[in-house]
Amino acid sequence: MGETPGAFFREQAKGNAMGEGAVKGAMTRRQLLRMIGLSAGGAAMYQAMNSLGLAAESPFRGPLSLSGAPKGSSVLVLGAGIAGMVAAYELRKAGYRVQVLEYNTRAGGRNWSLRGGDRYTELGGATQECRFDPGLYINPGPWRLPYHHQGILSYCKLLGVPLEAFVQVNNNAWLHNSKAFDGKPQRFRAVKADYQGHVAELLAKATQGGKLDGQVSREDQEKLLASLRQWGALDKNYAYLKGELSSARRGFDKDPGGGLGARPAFSEPMGLDDVLDSGLWTGIPEGDNYETQTTLFQPVGGMGVIGQAFARELGPLIRYNAKVVDIHQGEHGVSATFEDTTAPGSRQTVSADWCVCTIPLSILGQIPMNVGQSMAAAIAAVPYAASVKVGLQFKRRFWEEDEQIYGGISYTDLPINMISYPSTGYHGGGKGVLLGAYTWGLNAMEFTAMTPQQRVRKAVEFGSRIHPQYPAEFDNGVAVAWHRSPFTLGCFGEWSERTRAEHYDNLCRFDGRIVLAGEHASYLPAWQEGAVTSALDAIERLHRRALAGGAAA
Amino acid sequence: MNTTNACRRHAGKALFLTWLLAVGTTPARAEQAGTAPAGMPAMVTGAQIYTHLCQGCHMAQGQGATGAGSYPALAGDPAVASAPFMAVILLHGRRNMPAFASKDHGWEYFHVLPSLTYAQIAAVINHVRTHFGNHYKDVITAAEVKALDH
Repeated sequence: MGETPGAFFREQAKGNAMGEGAVKGAMTRRQLLRMIGLSAGGAAMYQAMNSLGLAAESPFRGPLSLSGAPKGSSVLVLGAGIAGMVAAYELRKAGYRVQVLEYNTRAGGRNWSLRGGDRYTELGGATQECRFDPGLYINPGPWRLPYHHQGILSYCKLLGVPLEAFVQVNNNAWLHNSKAFDGKPQRFRAVKADYQGHVAELLAKATQGGKLDGQVSREDQEKLLASLRQWGALDKNYAYLKGELSSARRGFDKDPGGGLGARPAFSEPMGLDDVLDSGLWTGIPEGDNYETQTTLFQPVGGMGVIGQAFARELGPLIRYNAKVVDIHQGEHGVSATFEDTTAPGSRQTVSADWCVCTIPLSILGQIPMNVGQSMAAAIAAVPYAASVKVGLQFKRRFWEEDEQIYGGISYTDLPINMISYPSTGYHGGGKGVLLGAYTWGLNAMEFTAMTPQQRVRKAVEFGSRIHPQYPAEFDNGVAVAWHRSPFTLGCFGEWSERTRAEHYDNLCRFDGRIVLAGEHASYLPAWQEGAVTSALDAIERLHRRALAGGAAA
Repeated sequence: MNTTNACRRHAGKALFLTWLLAVGTTPARAEQAGTAPAGMPAMVTGAQIYTHLCQGCHMAQGQGATGAGSYPALAGDPAVASAPFMAVILLHGRRNMPAFASKDHGWEYFHVLPSLTYAQIAAVINHVRTHFGNHYKDVITAAEVKALDH
């Protein structure tokens, strides 16, 4: 990075131009990248790699190294969630005087784990006390970290937050449709094998019958047939039938073992009609999405460990119990007025040269703030999604003991939507906590309208149809409905293509001395990576402005 | 959504929508007012819709709630003086409140689209305007709600 802002901009410009022009040039890619790297630094090389399609697609461009904040300059950060704390951490490092205001009594925001002994009071006044056993928890908000979310992962590394694998796909978990197979759940493994096997057989028949002659060359048809045989576990006649091949995918009626009587018994595939009619095939690609592909991670001990680590790092920079009621900017600075929620009605004002505001739009839209019409309209344009999670503690880990389900997710058409099993503590012996409901949309709104006790009861009632052990083994539960969350009034900003086109850039642009950050200012809604990358982008721009003496950047 | 990202993300998210469209009951609810999945409450009358949906934010007595921000009370709120105004808000959303007309939804991922029929919207408006201390005499019809959905 250059010595002065001017140098920085020139380098960026050079890097861009070279990156784009180079594709047509006679140099090898390696030569080109090396040259860009030498002359313009890592960021420019990264951009060039991106334009050549060589880099990963994460918007995270590596750890920031801002430095040289103008002497005495200060930043006010509103909100100690992931975005706010990333901003505070990096700005402090760059030399700014930083203070953070946080509504809650804890840091993290939606980065949060509920553990035994925690109390949570939702809007409307219902208070729950979590009664999970020591070490057990539920993440009401984010719960998994895709491997390519390098921003949040880099802060885990930096802050010493240990990670473990989050199991997304479990072939032994259930796919359940209350209206198919007499309401009996089917193993993911069997549904996938049978769907794939039957489709492969059909396509093989079409190929052999000359139906693809116009579209696939003869030579490629041979390869296609070979691949279908492998993909679908077809026999030498390209049929998907009961036998060793299909059982090796869908599982056995009696597993192979050792010793006398160890001979396996093959299982009978479901018919194509049954598979198609059940609709269970819709659950098959759950782990094929970019965001749910292996490897996913979770912090050891709960997602909230990240927020706690940030809070430790920032220490006294964060002022808790501070409800922002007014934000005002002038020519030379920004001030925020807040109520100390432990002293209702009290008012205090803090000010700084700049403000990074990460308050969710659902709340920010209600706080008086003198920004221009375009940012104000953007803040008002984004509705907040409903979502509900229910954590259930059971007396034993019956999903492991009885059903050999270790981590992963079962999906259902019932209003609970899914059941997710813990990706840790296997063979723990004691009690276990699973995610008994994770709902969206109308179902979530209906769950929100219930009392916490009703939500837990409903989750147990619906879940019993997948796991009959539920009623006997249920111990206690907690339910978080995000529209009832006092610190967000919703789960996350729900953009549409139309609102993105009209308002997104206006939301992200600086307005005077104020810049917004958070998942709502990202194309990764509801993901912590959106919060991290939006914060980094915001403070890079802030730093440039500050270095330029407040002029537009 | 930017195009590349949107396509990729959408492809992924659409899975969950498809999943419920194929096996679930709820997306069809817009066409089958009041039919609820077994074990979930029916939502036909204004009172049912309010109790099982609206009170999630506006609370059981229409009193609203306040944390870092607020949900407006519907009890004695001048905003409920106009039934068409309420209809427009229910159809298209306002600020952080989501829309309940299916075409206004941003993102199919959040897969059980919170759609209400025009009849359901009319019913709940009429309920709110005659409860929680509100005593408005005029009613709004499903046809009038529909006329505002453009």
